[in-house]
Amino acid sequence: MTNTNSTPSGQPLGINHRPSPTESMFAALDERNRPAFIGYLPFGFPTPDLSIQAVRTMVEHGVDAVEIGLPYSDPVMDGPVIQSASQIALQAGERIADVFRAVEAVANAGGVPLIMSYWNLIFHYGVDRFAADFAQAGGAGLITPDLIPDEAGEWIETSDRYGLDRIFLVSPDTSDERLALVSRNARGFVYAASRMGVTGERATIGTSPEVLVDRTRKAGANRVCVGIGVSTAEQGSAVGKYADGVIVGSALVHTLLDESGKAARNSDEGLAMLAAKTEELAEGIHNARV
Amino acid sequence: MSVLDDLVAGAVEDQRKREQLVSMEELKKQAQEAPAALDVKRWLRRDDGIPVIAEIKRASPSKGHLSDIPDPASLAREYAEGGASAISVLTEGRVFLGSLDDFDQVRHAVRIPVLRKDFIVTEYQIWEARAHGADLILLIVAALDDETLAHLLELAHSLGMHALVETHTREEIDRAIAAGAQIIGINARNLKNLRVDVSVYRELAENLPQNVIKVAESGIFGSVEVEEYSRAGADAVLVGEAVATADDHQLAVERLVEAGARVKSSQSTPLSTHEGPYFGRFGGRHVPEALIHALDELEQVYDEAKNDPAFVEELARLHKYYVGRPSPLTEAPRFAQRINDATGLNARVFLKREDLNHTGAHKINNALGQALLVKRMGKTRVIAETGAGQHGVATATVCALLGLKCRIYMGQIDARRQALNVARMRLLGAEVVEVTLGSKILKDAINEALRDWVTNVETTHYLLGTAAGPHPFPSMVRDFQKLIGEEAQSQLREDYGIDHPDAICACVGGGSNAIGIMNAFLDDPRVNLYGYEAGGHGPESGEHAIRLTDGTGQLGVFQGTQSYLLEDEEGQTLDTYSISAGLDYASVGPEHAWLKEIGRVNYSYATDDEAMDAFKALCETEGIIPAIESSHALAGAFKAAEDLKAKGYTDPVIIVNVSGRGDKDVATAGRWFGYLTDDQSKALDANGAHGSSVTE
Repeated sequence: MTNTNSTPSGQPLGINHRPSPTESMFAALDERNRPAFIGYLPFGFPTPDLSIQAVRTMVEHGVDAVEIGLPYSDPVMDGPVIQSASQIALQAGERIADVFRAVEAVANAGGVPLIMSYWNLIFHYGVDRFAADFAQAGGAGLITPDLIPDEAGEWIETSDRYGLDRIFLVSPDTSDERLALVSRNARGFVYAASRMGVTGERATIGTSPEVLVDRTRKAGANRVCVGIGVSTAEQGSAVGKYADGVIVGSALVHTLLDESGKAARNSDEGLAMLAAKTEELAEGIHNARV
Repeated sequence: MSVLDDLVAGAVEDQRKREQLVSMEELKKQAQEAPAALDVKRWLRRDDGIPVIAEIKRASPSKGHLSDIPDPASLAREYAEGGASAISVLTEGRVFLGSLDDFDQVRHAVRIPVLRKDFIVTEYQIWEARAHGADLILLIVAALDDETLAHLLELAHSLGMHALVETHTREEIDRAIAAGAQIIGINARNLKNLRVDVSVYRELAENLPQNVIKVAESGIFGSVEVEEYSRAGADAVLVGEAVATADDHQLAVERLVEAGARVKSSQSTPLSTHEGPYFGRFGGRHVPEALIHALDELEQVYDEAKNDPAFVEELARLHKYYVGRPSPLTEAPRFAQRINDATGLNARVFLKREDLNHTGAHKINNALGQALLVKRMGKTRVIAETGAGQHGVATATVCALLGLKCRIYMGQIDARRQALNVARMRLLGAEVVEVTLGSKILKDAINEALRDWVTNVETTHYLLGTAAGPHPFPSMVRDFQKLIGEEAQSQLREDYGIDHPDAICACVGGGSNAIGIMNAFLDDPRVNLYGYEAGGHGPESGEHAIRLTDGTGQLGVFQGTQSYLLEDEEGQTLDTYSISAGLDYASVGPEHAWLKEIGRVNYSYATDDEAMDAFKALCETEGIIPAIESSHALAGAFKAAEDLKAKGYTDPVIIVNVSGRGDKDVATAGRWFGYLTDDQSKALDANGAHGSSVTE
């Protein structure tokens, strides 16, 4: 019950009934029979300014929504590529308060800004303060890889007040009962992990995401996007046939890392490779249902 | 005239109009024919939850129009489906846009108590409420003088109804109680700025008679406020706008009800049998959804196992014949003399000898218990993290015993300072993975173990070594360790004829040995409990692992649980430091966080210097080489003795948990005390032999 939770006259802020921003995106894409292309990049990688250029580049070359990651010291759901990028960002002095510049950049470029964050960062920043700043910057919703709906009371309440989307994850071994619980508490879409495990590129994608998308819809979700392990246009095209959106992370982050995988590539070269990879993926994903 | 005066005047005027259509006589007849009122008091206070009174509310003076509510009956049904304990119906028509017709519709739609909320100042309105089937009416203290309030309350009670008596100030609360109010509504708006403020509620609701039901009335939007009010002592909540304007009314009520149940269960006593997921504000399951299935399975299998005599018997058999339990309780008179010399007390000190267990520490108790569960679950692979190596060795040991595949994650820095334990694990057939990510210490080993678990959860069990992490680990690990305290309790009685100890001292890293020895004594207020964290170079140095002393840890979410956490201004986990790898962790088990908050356990710390002095003292006085981790508890015994002296004890009985033995620490201690030459030290480093190196 902090002050931002109330109107200027001191009345508690009511429930915000603005439509889900990502649902509006899906509805617009539906008219063209296209799945959404959602691209991930950690904020502050390789530097705050370059990461803002990078998210803008992604929107300009075809992503519909950007999942802006907040680098965290203990990213248990991330594989080596995103771990490296996050560590580089933290060493370069990434600050959470600056992420809203990236949010604005995505919104101004015409993309839908999402943030992906491990919960302690938001909790520490202040859930209400974060929601207020995020909404103010034009943010659409938050993807929470280590927050399950059972523990999300404060976030559910706060996101309702600011009209922000709540994107929870599900995975192939999630029970039907849990899928229903997640779907019921989600706003915007449900993030279906293509496989058990952490983020990272894979040569093949099995049939498990298709089954999971189907089960999640049956459990009540309106929109289901698939992420984790999608790294090529071909995979994106296959997933886009049945999912509402395709989420690509490590493959995009990869373009900005050098050969060692531990340091950032020259920035012009990196941005050019990012643009090319984005276009390639967009081509595959957006034409998935053609 | 104030807003309230206006509303009252309007309500009275409207009532007079109704009275011309239905006389008081007629109304009394209707009231007598109405079905008897429900006993609302039984609905508004319960041990396992916070009852929610959900309101049918179209508008309010402060916010204007809120919701159309064309069908109050179906809205009431949705509230009831969501678990509401009562429905409040506004019948005031001028500002709140309610009506008695709304009330009638709701009354017929639900079987739970219904509150008539209006500006009630006359007898007629009360008879009218009863005639329409109300169980509960609203009386606003600010609108009534003492005599009228008492009279109207009495009338309501005589008709079998109860009254929710609304108050805004302590003075009004006192008037309400004097008038005989049994259910008091507390409006916690700060009257200066109209903001809702739980601290205002807390002040207002202080010292109310036990039999008065306290209903928090303002600003409740979701689980946050339910939790705050409930922790501040509210018995029930009244919620209007948040449920009336929600997209899904049933779900909105459900969430409030769940939040209340969660708070109640988080506070349950007795402490020794308190179960997770929540320990007060702490605990939970802060993990990826991908692990929920495995945690659910573990919880279920564990619940079955602990009630299965065959499992209990098997574990007891292994404790006796494999681990060598019970571990002795050894009196330490020469060590006690050091404490007595320092404090002027006449204390007796007993050591609980977990160092004598197979593998040399308490860790085996938990590792065995969980490994038996792994067999029960039909999983074939075990992973574990280790800091000092004791838990890794214990896990590798039980995996060898039970034929399980085993992989141990160890931070590279820890692996180097505990090279002998790495070799030991490998001898036992385990694969040891040195983690080179992050800070390369215990927390990074846990991250990597979690990543492995998320990926291989179908075949793999994560054998977490301490009473931290997501539920059910904190409760389960405590259960597997609590025999330490149970044994000590009966050994003290049977072997030494002492009924109970005056104090228990234990070191606290994640907290498993500490909760293990303390659990049996948590509900015995005669026993003072002391936990000692790793003070490293002291709290101001920034090089320590003190989480529970003011100004160090903050409330945070880390590696599966909500607890105190060492973090920077951005919420990133801080690096920790201690001479003992086993206490070198950024967070602490949620039960300890709770025991600190409720003041049951005194937490303090011992620095490297203090721990090493105590290490040597025990070696010299008793011929026992303790682990450096346990030496923090021994150093703590000196501090506990001072505290006991201040409390007036003269000859206290103190039990110190010697959680592990110090063989692994001999090189560290040898360097610390100068018993190794530089050349010998270098030789130990060069060949990667045993021991941690002391950071200069």
